[in-house]
Amino acid sequence: MSALDRSLRPTSGELRDFSFPQVNRVRLPNGLDVRVAQLSRLPIVNVSLFIRASEGALGEEHAGLAVLTADALEGGTTRRSGSELAESLEGIGARLSASAGWEGTNVGISCMADRLPEAFAIMAEAVREPAFPEEEVRRSLDQQLATIRQREMDPGALATEYARRSYFSADVPYARAVDGSVESISAISRDTVRGYADANYRPDGGGLVVVGDVGFDEVADMVRTHFGDWEGTPEQIADFTVQPASLKRRVVLVHRAGAVQSEVRIGHVGAARSTPDYYALSMANMVLGGMFTSRLNLNLRERNGFTYGVRSRFTFRSRPGPFQISTSVGNDVTDAAIREAMIELIGMADKGPTPDEVAAARDYAAGVFGLQLETSGQVATRINQLLIYGLDEDHYDRYRDDVRAVNSEAAASAAAEHMRPSQAQIVVVGDADAVAKPLEELDLASVEIVAVD
Amino acid sequence: MTQLSIDFDRYQLDNGLKVVIAPDRTVPVVATNLWYGVGSRNEPEGKTGFAHLFEHMMFQGSANVPKNRHFELIERVGGTLNATTWFDRTNYFETVPSHELDLCLWLESDRMGWMLPAMDQAKLDNQRDVVMNEKRQHYDNQPYGDWSERLQRLVFPKDHPYHHTVIGSMEDIEAATLDDVASFFETFYIPNNAVLTVVGDVDIERALGSIEHYFGDIPAGPKPPSLPGRTELEHVIGGTVRDLVVADVPLPRVIMASRIPPYSSDGFATAEVVRAVLGMGRASRLYRHLVREQQIAKSVVTYAYPLLTGASMLLMWGTGYPGTDPALLEQAMARELEALIDTRQDEISRAISLIETDLVRTLERVAERADLLSMFDLYFGDPGRLNQELDRLRSVTLDDVRAFVTNQLGPDNRAVLTYVPEGSR
Repeated sequence: MSALDRSLRPTSGELRDFSFPQVNRVRLPNGLDVRVAQLSRLPIVNVSLFIRASEGALGEEHAGLAVLTADALEGGTTRRSGSELAESLEGIGARLSASAGWEGTNVGISCMADRLPEAFAIMAEAVREPAFPEEEVRRSLDQQLATIRQREMDPGALATEYARRSYFSADVPYARAVDGSVESISAISRDTVRGYADANYRPDGGGLVVVGDVGFDEVADMVRTHFGDWEGTPEQIADFTVQPASLKRRVVLVHRAGAVQSEVRIGHVGAARSTPDYYALSMANMVLGGMFTSRLNLNLRERNGFTYGVRSRFTFRSRPGPFQISTSVGNDVTDAAIREAMIELIGMADKGPTPDEVAAARDYAAGVFGLQLETSGQVATRINQLLIYGLDEDHYDRYRDDVRAVNSEAAASAAAEHMRPSQAQIVVVGDADAVAKPLEELDLASVEIVAVD
Repeated sequence: MTQLSIDFDRYQLDNGLKVVIAPDRTVPVVATNLWYGVGSRNEPEGKTGFAHLFEHMMFQGSANVPKNRHFELIERVGGTLNATTWFDRTNYFETVPSHELDLCLWLESDRMGWMLPAMDQAKLDNQRDVVMNEKRQHYDNQPYGDWSERLQRLVFPKDHPYHHTVIGSMEDIEAATLDDVASFFETFYIPNNAVLTVVGDVDIERALGSIEHYFGDIPAGPKPPSLPGRTELEHVIGGTVRDLVVADVPLPRVIMASRIPPYSSDGFATAEVVRAVLGMGRASRLYRHLVREQQIAKSVVTYAYPLLTGASMLLMWGTGYPGTDPALLEQAMARELEALIDTRQDEISRAISLIETDLVRTLERVAERADLLSMFDLYFGDPGRLNQELDRLRSVTLDDVRAFVTNQLGPDNRAVLTYVPEGSR
């Protein structure tokens, strides 16, 4: 090796390219879309069953029902009590997870490869033969209510809650918490849960993703055995359009007496996963607040020390989710931090990123993509996205090329279209006695002070 | 039953830097990971939180790398990076596409050797503000945010290095000076107090050549001084000590802790098994009895801290429902500790099966593999301990568990920290 000149960045070695793991696919007659990627690095398997039983399909009076039902699956089956279900899985080192969100319900298993046949059978039993014992449903419900209570006293969660309501019109599901409210949860009975699962835990439109040390044929056999005679289409299908709560800029200050920091959210309705601007907008956002060396972080953290960190994000869903900047800042710099964040947001919306910045974002996104395909869980999550959002099968094969095709003009025009500082909803959870007056003096909009409800 | 076999090679440079290289060419990714043998336990009175503040300063540049360039360069190649500070160590790590290994080695070596020329007061002021905001965000402005501070005070005496938290106190962070930065760097950030691990898509000879190239000319330093305060501890607390906090929290919570043998002792494997029998998974005792059957707890957590100095700590926490009486919750938790005396073999097997799956999942990431290899080398001088991890747990017997329950989990070794929501009593 040559003598070392420390002032020079080392030259790169030879790039070793890689491909997204090969995915084998079969669609069962019942509509279940089965996708398998064999990875043999370690003797482990990740299974993820997606059912279109979604919170997005529920009216406000039933908000949280899909989440609660998924949770209550651990209460046991017609053949095993909740404890027996847990023991039979954990005894073979398998973990079962079940959760629901805006797009659907996910039931997953992670286990050693040699335990897959047993674990898979038990997972199928949990989904297809849940017993929902009264006692267990009641407990899941109490837990969910307690979680809501915890959230109401967590300043970050509280800020997100108020922000959501400021972004989305009240009749849009995204305006509410995905796991419901005290009112909607309290009204749920064991029979509601039973009825919900019977009507909506059905295969059509759903999928099963298996990633890890197992072959396609073996999986296909298991799927036919355990899900082959499963039938039907979920009864409740999401049907709504997204409307903003306000097109006028607002500043909402949620008073928390004695708070030593302000939780800040700045945002509005963003874009859907299907937007043709997906890549361009993602690059623009990355430059604004999507990486450590983003404009927001370099300004608020590294130049000014206002915060431990700040980020911005578009949450892409089947319909437009939120676009949001989030940070926590000291009381005495709350106004200055919001002023600087707005300057960065306005700058990005008006002028877009520079060619250098877009190049940096592209390189980051294209490079980090490969790093995030190491584990069976990561690959399964990616494949799930294809299924949930109906993306093309070659989506990930093209991903890096599509990222690299974004230029600064495209990023600027996406930013101009989807970042709207004049409509920004600014939500602060903090001590009004300390921050209200300086916020008023920023002159962004009149400050609406509200008490926690 | 999985037999772990992570292959690695181990070297030491002339300046004392320990090097572990573990090739895995199945993905075009490489992780670099540096563990320095310094953490919050090295902080004397009046300097709490400094090891962590110093970790932040390590990203403020070095002789050939301007402020923020480290982040820029790594992000530019599509890499990820971070660092963390803990009681016994500080770690720095990058994961990058494998053709950029040299970039990581250059950046890490420049700050290991030549950090000080880049330091100035403005950078220190900036990162002090950042760290104070980190403390506010994660501790002061959070319900239960002071739990670790309160618990450590109960479990470890005032003159023991675990009496204070990693984040430290606002006063001490505020008082940090550039001189502190310089002397801390010179004392602890030396090659003979560090382990460098590289895992992933590398050729051993080439990687070793690059490591020698970038780190070889960093001079060794004198052996770091011994730890401040008293490091030997009695194996039990000597009673049940309590702290009752009435605060603005949503739900009652009882946090119990006991001193346990240090991570470096043979007895620690038993603590790990007991912790899993007690609180890992939904078939665990605490979940089954307190959450599912008695419904006195909304959630439970157990954790065996892997701490080295004098003693470590077994943690058990239960969060109640709005109407839960914390005294009853505490009694229920204490009953579960005592009942562990009749632990069954099938419970141990279940616990080990879960730990096995979790460990194999962890090893899917080269970054995690690198972190574990660094740890086992720094703490035990033996990265190969990773491959014996599961056997170590499998060798725990029912007699070991019973002896552990008798010796370590009685009322003579209990700290109880209780949070009661304001206005509920």
